[in-house]
Amino acid sequence: MFDYQKLDKIIHEKWRLAIMALLASRRIWSFQELKAELKMSDGNLITHMRTLHKQGLVSVTKEFRGRPQTTYALTAKGRSAFREHINALEEIVKQWKP
Amino acid sequence: MAQERSKAEQDLRVIRSLMERATVYRAISAPAALVAGFLSVFAAAAIYLNDQTSLGINRPVQGRAFAAIWLIVLVMAVATNAFFIWREAKKDGRPFISAGMKLSLRAIAPNLLIPAAVTVWFLVSGYKGAAEQQLVVVWIAFYGLALLSTGFFAPHSLVCLGWAFLLTALALPALRNAVGDLPANLPHIAMGITFGLYHLIYAVCTWPRKRADEIEQFAVE
Repeated sequence: MFDYQKLDKIIHEKWRLAIMALLASRRIWSFQELKAELKMSDGNLITHMRTLHKQGLVSVTKEFRGRPQTTYALTAKGRSAFREHINALEEIVKQWKP
Repeated sequence: MAQERSKAEQDLRVIRSLMERATVYRAISAPAALVAGFLSVFAAAAIYLNDQTSLGINRPVQGRAFAAIWLIVLVMAVATNAFFIWREAKKDGRPFISAGMKLSLRAIAPNLLIPAAVTVWFLVSGYKGAAEQQLVVVWIAFYGLALLSTGFFAPHSLVCLGWAFLLTALALPALRNAVGDLPANLPHIAMGITFGLYHLIYAVCTWPRKRADEIEQFAVE
């Protein structure tokens, strides 16, 4: 029987899962790039990024390159949590295969 | 339980699509390929007509004029591609010189060194030996190699385009050996078919279509 406690409640939310997937695919993403890729509003994206940052899953860097730019990356904890979450999803699929 | 499984499957599919989409970079956009294709077909047709009839400049286009015409087409095609990539980046709020573009340029650049050197040689002295066909084979082959070098992060269509160029470049000398007496304007025809027709086919096959994919559905839910 699959233990649903294995699913990380923070990552399991659909937008945060999508954000984590993008951050796992490339080292650094700017706020604008994430927003464009996921077609999210500024407020929605900021809220989810704050949640992920508070949990230590995502690191935030604020720089000034002609204009202020915020970039995000997965932390080691975030990468490992994402990997575990994928494994948990795969386990569910395998377990309930008809 | 079945619902949980279906949700997990959907999540995995969306994660895969997002990760694949984020790591894919299309170095040639469909509209740019369309413009490049039309320019090349137009240039090849104009040169062919000039050479076959007495219309135009009253002498066959060869030597430096041949290289110059195709270099102008190249500059116009590159500028068009840059414009479309810039416009797409601006629309999406992404930087023009993105990580994907840097990766792409790093992969493509080494493949352009030999064609650049051969073109310089052709313009300086090679044109005297009527080496247009050799020049065309080098251009087509290395353009194909440049596209194939982006294979790790390029969409499948771009890799197919690369193979089409490379195989055509391989076939041209073989065709010359097999047929023997090939028409004098073969270089123009080869340029028209490859840089013209192949780009037009690529543009038609990759033209952006409006469809609700899985990620868009996911965003709407």
